[in-house]
Amino acid sequence: MLAMSRHNKLFHQLKKGKNIPLTCIYNMASHQSQFTEYKDLIQEGDLALIWISRGNIKAVTIDAKESFNTRYGTFPHKDMIGKQYGSQIAIRTRGTGRFAFVHVLQPTPELWTLSLPHRTQIVYTPDSSYVMQRMNCGPHTRVLEAGTGSGSFSHAFARTVEKLFTYEFHPVRYEQAMLEFKEHGLLNENVTITLRDVCEDGFTIKKGDKTSATFDDEDSKELEATAVFLDLPAPWDAIHHLDKVIAQDQIVSVCCFSPCIEQVDKTIESLEKNGWANIEMVEIQGRQYESRRQMVRSIEDAMERCRDIKRRKQEGIELKRLRIEAEHKGETKPDSEPTPREPFTEKSKFNPFGKGTRVKEGDPNFKWKQVTKIESEIKSHTSYLTFATKLSDKSRRDTVVQ
Amino acid sequence: MTTQGIDPLRRITCDQHVILTLPSEKCKIVELKANTAVSLGKFGAFNVNDIIGYPLGTKFEIFYDNETQETVDHDKKTKDPKKKESKINVGKIRVSDDLIKRDEGLTNVGNSENNKDLINLGSDIQKMTSDDIEALKKQSTSGNEIISRIIESHGTFDKKTIYSQEKYLKRKKQKFDKQFTVNYLSSNLLLQYLIDKNDIQRIMDMSEESIGMLLNLANIRSNGTYLCMDETGGLLIYFMLERMFGGDENTGSTGKIVVVHENEHPNLDLLKYSNYSEKFISEHIITISILDYFEPRTVEEVEQEFKPLGREEVFALKSGAKNTYFRKLKWHKIHLQQIDIATKWSFDSLVVATTLHLPSLLPKLGERVHGSRPIVCYSQFKEILLELSHTLYDDLNYLAPTIIETKCRPYQSIRGRLHPLMTMKGGGGYLMWCHKVIPAPEPEMISVEPKATETEGVQIEKQ
Repeated sequence: MLAMSRHNKLFHQLKKGKNIPLTCIYNMASHQSQFTEYKDLIQEGDLALIWISRGNIKAVTIDAKESFNTRYGTFPHKDMIGKQYGSQIAIRTRGTGRFAFVHVLQPTPELWTLSLPHRTQIVYTPDSSYVMQRMNCGPHTRVLEAGTGSGSFSHAFARTVEKLFTYEFHPVRYEQAMLEFKEHGLLNENVTITLRDVCEDGFTIKKGDKTSATFDDEDSKELEATAVFLDLPAPWDAIHHLDKVIAQDQIVSVCCFSPCIEQVDKTIESLEKNGWANIEMVEIQGRQYESRRQMVRSIEDAMERCRDIKRRKQEGIELKRLRIEAEHKGETKPDSEPTPREPFTEKSKFNPFGKGTRVKEGDPNFKWKQVTKIESEIKSHTSYLTFATKLSDKSRRDTVVQ
Repeated sequence: MTTQGIDPLRRITCDQHVILTLPSEKCKIVELKANTAVSLGKFGAFNVNDIIGYPLGTKFEIFYDNETQETVDHDKKTKDPKKKESKINVGKIRVSDDLIKRDEGLTNVGNSENNKDLINLGSDIQKMTSDDIEALKKQSTSGNEIISRIIESHGTFDKKTIYSQEKYLKRKKQKFDKQFTVNYLSSNLLLQYLIDKNDIQRIMDMSEESIGMLLNLANIRSNGTYLCMDETGGLLIYFMLERMFGGDENTGSTGKIVVVHENEHPNLDLLKYSNYSEKFISEHIITISILDYFEPRTVEEVEQEFKPLGREEVFALKSGAKNTYFRKLKWHKIHLQQIDIATKWSFDSLVVATTLHLPSLLPKLGERVHGSRPIVCYSQFKEILLELSHTLYDDLNYLAPTIIETKCRPYQSIRGRLHPLMTMKGGGGYLMWCHKVIPAPEPEMISVEPKATETEGVQIEKQ
């Protein structure tokens, strides 16, 4: 709704012949932020996430002329338009005519993170959520993030904080992230991305820099950062640049995200040298569990089954003995059926555990115990998180009214 | 003294709850009242007026000189009857440097490569008696000075390794330093305070990392309407409020939290420490009992009980009757709003921390969560969430329930000696995360394929 009213205002200004920067007009055509407004219905032009399965979530832009293809069949976008977000979209599969479906979700930073291809380096939610919580992120936090990387953490920051200044030194990744943030409506909201090697050139954003920031009269942006996240190979080269751009009379938090302990050591050295206090390194371990069931198999049933088998075996031996005896005596009745070579016994009448049949987990004919199963491959180490705080200007404010 | 023109989110002001961290690493919540003194027990006492106007996060040191004669009563909560009687000298305040000075106090003493010359003689090694130390404290010597005297009088201090010297120093600092930091009452520090107080059971053993992850997974923003059950006495709600408003009542954000409670009255006791005004809280937090939520009264019932009067009729009321009338009018409006909430509102996420039976509760609470919105449920125990996730798994209105655990492992963060701490807090709880979805209507049966059933579809999706 907010985005709409902004559009209307722009149209009015256009009508009045006002001079509007080109970027503004471009942004009008681009997407409204799917990440900042709760949407009710799926609409043409929306960025939506299509949930196929846990490990398979795809981002699509809704276009009535398009279809979404899976190996189960084709889902036309027009079947989604007008439905509520979260709707299940069902089709008949091509060959078998089975019922197949997907769910259409509105993106959130966390779902967006899950939808990214796993080959990219991503700060996952257990880490990113802890960093945000520990640095007290809220609507007044002004964050510096270097580097932008996949942009996954940027989305989570953007949802919560007042302003996010994110830096990427890789030109291709910068362009990709810039385009993505634009499409996601984040640049209109509170995100600024800058092409920069912060270790070399620091964080200040000036006119003429390659950045998404727009300048009015000022020559450089007032950053006044209160939280800093450094996901860099050598954060110690960037730390000394921070003094110029962090808020002076407030507590500022920094978090350095490094996979190796040697990096932590050098980071701590640099933090101490540059006047940062309360240094603490932690590690976050996130675990996911699958809900499963294991069959309850009582010892009584197991013993009874053994007895049953034994009994049947005994019966079989007895039958065999009788048959052999009878054959010896030549007493085969002419009208009796020919005895099979192996004595016929039903496999087992008592089969409490469904042996030899395919039992589906949770089959109501059996007793089950609910259990959790940890993921088969766990993220045993992501990175070390080194936190510190700094309060640069401790002077008292003297406008105290007596 | 008033403190106009000072931003209470950045600087220490009067009538503000702050959280003090003491040398012992313990926390204390105080409301800063002008012209009063705050006692920190053995660490001394200070005047509130002396710290107003400094940035939040400033570390102060209490010091005493000949001019300091004021005294203040011990903390009323102290259990020691002897201490209850005695008074504490109110000291002066100076800003303290919070930088770590490695080897501070150790520069002028030798140390040993190893501890092979160290013989444990117990307390005999210290030449100062505890009476001597008490006397020093009475003279109001600074913490640093006391510590260096103790080290001087220590018989074998130079036989210790540098590592154990540092540890010794840290222990003594925790005992004799008169330093404290004045912090903004963040949700993290409130949690820390409750953990220190051993109130873990009261807050369902929640950890900072679990709540942090809950807030992110539930996609808590400043403009959403959230449905919540909170059995932690308001801790969870405070975390949500801080994430949504950051302690600021003037952000203009429209976010609301509907808190469903199982008693006649809600228990959001911990919000008494928050710096949000009652007015602000009542605008953004709406409480409703589980009975009023699940079995709302009808509008007719409520309107029968009370009929709002016309303007002139109200004007004609006597002052006592007028008060009664307005009180009733307020309740009337609340009742009507509750019916509205219980029958019409749709929610942008459901956040639950309760010990009620979740497999029966959650599907009911989830009914009016909007499609595609997240549901996050906290429990101290994994087994509780396991049962819940099995229930939700069979319900087509919930997508992919997942049980999540997150744990923070702290390290000794000293250069060259980095290693995980030898002990850490266990517990911290578990989260169940899923999304509300809207099942497609029964599929049209194709006559050729009579056996195509919905369960097969679920299989495709859920495997």
